[in-house]
Amino acid sequence: MQFPFAKPPIGIIFDCAMGRKIDDALALAMLHGFEARKEARLAAVAISVPDVKAAQFCDSVNVFYSGANAAFTGGSRRGMPVGLADGPPPATTSPMLTVPLVYHTEIRSAIDTAEVAVVIRNALTAQYDQNAAVVLSGPATDLAKALKLRDTRELIARKVKLLCVAAGQYPEGAPEPNIQADIAAARKVFAEWPTPVVAVGYDIGMALLFPAASIDRDFAWNANHPIAAAYRAYQPMPYDAPSWAMAAMLYAVRPKENYFNLSPPGTIQVSDDGRTSFAPSESGKHRYLVIGPDQHERIIRTYTQLSSAKPVERKPKRPAA
Amino acid sequence: MIITGRSLPRRAFLRGMGTAVALPFLDAMVPATAAAARGVKPPVRMAFVYVPNGIIMEGWNPDYEGALGALPRVLKPMEPFRQDILQLGNLTHNAGRALLDGAGDHGRCCASYLTGVHPRKSVTDIKAGISFDQIVAGQVGKQTRFPSLELGMEDARQAGDCDSGYSCAYTNNLAWKSETQPLPPILDPRALFERLFGNGRALTPEARARQNLYRRSILDFVTDDTRKLEGSLGPADRRKLDEYLASIREIERQIEKAERDNSQIEPHMEKPYGIPADFAEHFRLMSDMMTVAFQADLTRVITFLVTHEGTSRPYREIDIPDGHHPLTHHKGQADLIEKVTQINAYHVRQFAAWIGRLKAIPEGDGSLLDNCMIVYGAGLSDGNRHLHEDLPTLIAGRAGNSIKTGRRIVYRRETPMCNLFLAMMDRMGVRVEQFGDSTGRLDGLDLA
Repeated sequence: MQFPFAKPPIGIIFDCAMGRKIDDALALAMLHGFEARKEARLAAVAISVPDVKAAQFCDSVNVFYSGANAAFTGGSRRGMPVGLADGPPPATTSPMLTVPLVYHTEIRSAIDTAEVAVVIRNALTAQYDQNAAVVLSGPATDLAKALKLRDTRELIARKVKLLCVAAGQYPEGAPEPNIQADIAAARKVFAEWPTPVVAVGYDIGMALLFPAASIDRDFAWNANHPIAAAYRAYQPMPYDAPSWAMAAMLYAVRPKENYFNLSPPGTIQVSDDGRTSFAPSESGKHRYLVIGPDQHERIIRTYTQLSSAKPVERKPKRPAA
Repeated sequence: MIITGRSLPRRAFLRGMGTAVALPFLDAMVPATAAAARGVKPPVRMAFVYVPNGIIMEGWNPDYEGALGALPRVLKPMEPFRQDILQLGNLTHNAGRALLDGAGDHGRCCASYLTGVHPRKSVTDIKAGISFDQIVAGQVGKQTRFPSLELGMEDARQAGDCDSGYSCAYTNNLAWKSETQPLPPILDPRALFERLFGNGRALTPEARARQNLYRRSILDFVTDDTRKLEGSLGPADRRKLDEYLASIREIERQIEKAERDNSQIEPHMEKPYGIPADFAEHFRLMSDMMTVAFQADLTRVITFLVTHEGTSRPYREIDIPDGHHPLTHHKGQADLIEKVTQINAYHVRQFAAWIGRLKAIPEGDGSLLDNCMIVYGAGLSDGNRHLHEDLPTLIAGRAGNSIKTGRRIVYRRETPMCNLFLAMMDRMGVRVEQFGDSTGRLDGLDLA
């Protein structure tokens, strides 16, 4: 049943490999920036790397943007469930995840996280029809799992307007790590995902570098900003960061504002060695992002504004116990 | 009853005028043949005991996993049965959440509890789904007199709006025969008694009057059969039969007492004639009859809606005159939380007493409880915030040695409650691959 009220802002499911690239942290910050402007809502975070520290980081960032209290979830002391991939933890932890967490997280172990496919499915059940988008930055493993759950393919078709995939190289190019990490999953998602898919190729992220100067300038309003701390820990400063996930997030929320151009429709295929290739076709439901030189500045300005935006505190529906 | 030289049939009854008293599991029912050497196992029974309005989770969840030690306040009454229970953490019913349907968590959580289905928000056009107990009943119910029993303790209407646009059919029933047909619970102990021990036909007014006039027990009507049977039993079985019949007699006495008491109380009391005014007494009567129903294999599937979801029943029995539901919206106020905690613990106390009685009844190589899996739970965890995750879930009994008890297992967040239902159906001998939003069978319950 859909209520006859105005639809809320689009719900975003962010499926990332938090820790692998600082870009994912910036994209999460940007999503919170959209949320503060009531342009989008964080519907769920799923993490394709089985690292509890990645889940703790995301949870802590969510707490930070909730106004450093429990308002994010309407008063619950347990935040929104974070999906975390199964498997042995990685041998080494990304430097950005070793920063002490200033904002409290309830996640102590994988028990406090949820199965990624369940998180994605449950989040979709709570979205209005055609009012959700999925942003994938990392291997397609989680989405492939979600597609295997009974009735979930139909649920995706009903709820999701768009999948934005920050992986691959278009129209073709060298093998890309996110695709190579799980070639079978990438093939499944490109072949079976029931909605339009827009891909962000490797060259797009490399062309749009998030400026290190913004970290010192725009994030200074909070001395304990978790995104700034992660950025500084990820690599020796100063460095500018490629922005695949941010590009995907920006397009997912503002697809009609001409930040990017779109390729004609077609079909993306994945080769055995992890290369992606795009074949144009009228009936294809895949496209990829293209940018011209005059679009860079506006995109970077939008990145820095949104990712450094201050949270807007919301009143909980019911006071916490 | 015809007694042959061979073993006593499992489905034997003591019969008399308008009466059919099923027998408990007796040694004489085990064939003294090679088959017996392989072991005739008592059947596995399943029950759900549902309490409304959530639970104060600080008093429910131990702060540890693994072997059960000291239990928190609400669960404290279960301490004598630590080795017989399994406490499960983090099971979730996503179907109970709003999912764009706005207010009405009480209606949804009860309707989705055993169905795994997000119910349609409507007062008149109800739709949920077949509940999993009814799937089990449909398959194993042919082996018992009643495929299932649906019981409750609080009189409640079946129509009208009971929660923000959700029909009362959602808040007041646990079991659903089909997606549009809930099975209203039996509330009246007398009605249940006559259902269990009647011969399937309602007593005529004359017979009821004669029985009342002479205050005769149903056992008086089966005296001949009882004598015949006793003559053919060994000493252990005779003792078992005596105790069983005595327990039936005691139930009768309690029902008569409730009826006598109710004839003296004020006429505006809401309770129908025969329902004890005292909560604990009512619970005891209903649970005693559930015991007999399991003991005599009258059914293997019971759902028991202790009070209905969203109830505002006061608990004057424990000096709490406030309504249950309003108290649960405590907004963090310590005095209100304390009262809800007391209500929660009071419920668990009644449950613990029942579990104790099941444990005291020998059956096969263990106790009746060992062959049961009785889930005590609620469709909300935190009633103040209407949370549908980490639902309070406790299993008592080992389901015929197929569940390792004495532990607390915490699953990952959002683990579907329906995964537990699949695991329970397995133990009832019913193989189902998918139910509700299940993603697989709940693991970790086994002995291994």
